[in-house]
Amino acid sequence: MSHDRGKLEAIFDRYSRQPESLIAVLQDIQKEYRYLPGPALLETAEALKVPLSKVFSVSTFYNAFSLTPKGETVVRICVGTTCHIRGAKVIQQQIENMLGIKAGETTPDMKFTIEVVACVGACAMAPVVAVNDQFHGGVTVAGLKRLVKKV
Amino acid sequence: MVELTINGRVVHANEGEMLLAVCRREGFRIPALCHHEAIEPFGACRLCMVEITKKEWKGWSNYVTSCLYPVEKNLIVLTDSTKVIELRKTVLDLQLARCPNSPEIRQLAAEYGVNQTSYEPVVDGDNCILCGICTRICEKMGFSAISTVGRGHDKVVAPPLKEAPPDCVGCLACSLNCPTHVIPYIDNGSTRIIWGRTFELIKCSKCGKPTITRDFAESLSKTKSIPAEYFEVCDECHRREISLTMGSIANWEREAAK
Repeated sequence: MSHDRGKLEAIFDRYSRQPESLIAVLQDIQKEYRYLPGPALLETAEALKVPLSKVFSVSTFYNAFSLTPKGETVVRICVGTTCHIRGAKVIQQQIENMLGIKAGETTPDMKFTIEVVACVGACAMAPVVAVNDQFHGGVTVAGLKRLVKKV
Repeated sequence: MVELTINGRVVHANEGEMLLAVCRREGFRIPALCHHEAIEPFGACRLCMVEITKKEWKGWSNYVTSCLYPVEKNLIVLTDSTKVIELRKTVLDLQLARCPNSPEIRQLAAEYGVNQTSYEPVVDGDNCILCGICTRICEKMGFSAISTVGRGHDKVVAPPLKEAPPDCVGCLACSLNCPTHVIPYIDNGSTRIIWGRTFELIKCSKCGKPTITRDFAESLSKTKSIPAEYFEVCDECHRREISLTMGSIANWEREAAK
């Protein structure tokens, strides 16, 4: 991905190039590109006057950041304790079969990414599947088909 | 001044001093792998745990990492109580599982009677205990070339993007301070290879022996205002030069006294 200097500059300016806004800046870059491109990390380090090693350390620490491109639609399957008990494994297998990829992977057409998360904090709605931050509770295999078709 | 008791002996310490420093100064041996005088205490290796209590705690005690615990008035510290030894054994047991091939860990564990780990050992591991001395000292040196990458099981020490680190100068602070000696480097006379980067080693202009890397010298002369010529001569030749200088000063003084 060729990164657009102007877009990055706008993000840096949004946070006045303060070192302490590193995470906010990375979040915005992640939102813009759906991942953190290597060159963007270099420019972030330079703009915020933060060591590149620190930028990389932060980028690899948080699950919200990805160094590889993600699909347009990110399907997050909660596999926390409650969701696990209520059949998250089956849901996961079903989604994996439907999209033809495993958890953590992205479809070759860059449309979908499947992720598993440990707990989204909505145990009462278990099993939970989040599609692009839209949360769906009480997911069933049949409901899943409708869900994926919709997107 | 703060008065406290360590292993039954009344000792004095300065306000704000950490227990580990005080205990060691008083001659009590406490193992630690992530501690380094040049950097802030970190509390990562958990080996410097000691037992603390106070009279008014009515028999209750606490176990703390001495490197991070500031001295307190009337504190009673035990550096080798049964429970402390037990804790250290557990930590060493875990570290031995992570670094089964590290001579340093094996020796330390053996001192505490742990000759074999009771956990599943990481056979093909890298023997890194993630104490963070390398990354922290790199930062202290002013380079911040390497950092920890990832987290949890996947956490490793690596340069950014896992490529040759642009900010590294090949000073070896990371490698030489590593408690388990797992950061490799190759010196072959004129070059040094570390973290996948090749550095030019300056040759002493007097004897030809390699001194430090060109990048390190340039960084030092820039940030610490040391003349660049200083690094063109090795330490031994510097000393020879000093003796010549001292000799001429002595001669000059003798002449002046006449």
